[in-house]
Amino acid sequence: MSEFFNQYFDFTIMGDHFSEVLEGFFKNLLLFAVVVVLALVWGLVLALLRQLPGRKFAPLRFLTIGYIDVLRAIPILIILLLISGGIPYLDFIPKDIRIPQWLGQPDPFWYSVLGLTLVYGAYMAEVYRAGIEAIPRGQAEAARSLGMSHGKAMRHVVVPQAVTKIPAPMLNEMISLLKDTTLASVVALGESVLVSREILAETFNSSAVILAGLMFLAITCRQRDWSTS
Amino acid sequence: MAEAMLRLEGIHKRFGQLEVLRGIDLEVAKGEVVCILGPSGSGKSTLLRCVNLLEPPEQGEIFLEGHDICKGPGSGTGEQSWELNFVRQRVGMVFQQFNLFPHKTVLENVSLAPRRVLGKSRRESETKARALLERVGLGDKFNQYPERLSGGQQQRVAIARALAMEPHVMLFDEVTSALDPELVKEVLDTMRELASEGMTMLVVTHEMGFAREVGDQVVFMDGGVIVERGKPADVLDDPREERTRRFLGLVLDR
Repeated sequence: MSEFFNQYFDFTIMGDHFSEVLEGFFKNLLLFAVVVVLALVWGLVLALLRQLPGRKFAPLRFLTIGYIDVLRAIPILIILLLISGGIPYLDFIPKDIRIPQWLGQPDPFWYSVLGLTLVYGAYMAEVYRAGIEAIPRGQAEAARSLGMSHGKAMRHVVVPQAVTKIPAPMLNEMISLLKDTTLASVVALGESVLVSREILAETFNSSAVILAGLMFLAITCRQRDWSTS
Repeated sequence: MAEAMLRLEGIHKRFGQLEVLRGIDLEVAKGEVVCILGPSGSGKSTLLRCVNLLEPPEQGEIFLEGHDICKGPGSGTGEQSWELNFVRQRVGMVFQQFNLFPHKTVLENVSLAPRRVLGKSRRESETKARALLERVGLGDKFNQYPERLSGGQQQRVAIARALAMEPHVMLFDEVTSALDPELVKEVLDTMRELASEGMTMLVVTHEMGFAREVGDQVVFMDGGVIVERGKPADVLDDPREERTRRFLGLVLDR
């Protein structure tokens, strides 16, 4: 039994490596903060594109639905590997964009931002869609009968009501996203999982990994409190 | 002879395999009140929804104030201004389920379209909205949200909301059918007043008393066609067609 505690709860190791793991965890949080904003916007754009009415917009609708389906089907890990493995070698893209070292964050950070935004935008688009479809058709009909265009009816009548219906499922997506920031470890971003794995390799002890897990637990529990009241 | 306010010619509409409107011809003069009666499934609501193009007909023409509204811009008819949203500004609609915007106050409900569609200033549209709400007897309610109002009050707000766009024709789709009986009167009174002020109205209803007293023309529909039409007294008291008799017998015997 004490073997178990030594392997997973060695407080000395946790203490020694605390600031390292925390620094890595901050990278998870930063990645989360950037992606959540971008994905919320991108998801809304996708959801609205999907709603465009009429035969004229059918190609755009189909493309959007296709995008959403494909990006929810392919594992995020594969998408991240494709991005980080391929983009650096696409010579036709200027080097500054291909290998971004923007705002003090290295290219793995930005590859992760791209990959996670593309995928989570798709998931969030479906949450928005559920919200929009939950609004009775009569609302849009009344708005259109008053002479509002599709765009105005969405903007003033449908979407304001739809966003009040989505906090709970959206929060679920955000919790998922926070955890999925750990996938950035496979593209060599120095976030908490990468760091704690290195410590595991050095010390043959998993306490640092537990520590990383506890940091996630600390943040997420608080999120749940806010939503259920 | 003056052009009819509204003319429907040969309207056909199907939903998938089901043909709901099988050739409707109807003419409505300016200021006329036309009441449409019939059993459920007869196509009355669909016909109404064709007039403001919520359900565009497959076949047939609709002329609003002489302009063909089934052909939008780019159809070669030269009617550039009569595109969809413009048509809907001219034709107001009131729904059975009210469809008020729950996230907006009564005042905001009525002033929203004039502000966002017609581009009127907030002050102008709110002043107009207040006047309309007074007119339908709800001047004291303008800061309330729709959920606080009774069904009859909500429906009257819906009427004010439609009137805010200054339509030339008003469509009423069974607007009292979802109301408790004691609330029906206030809505019918509002409609009666509107009619006496000269509004052109198309009213789908089961309220025979209203049809008789306020209607200028009564139309009986069944199975997607107009079975009988004429003056209220003629159609309601002495119908020529068997189907009309049967329907009225069922409704009036309650």
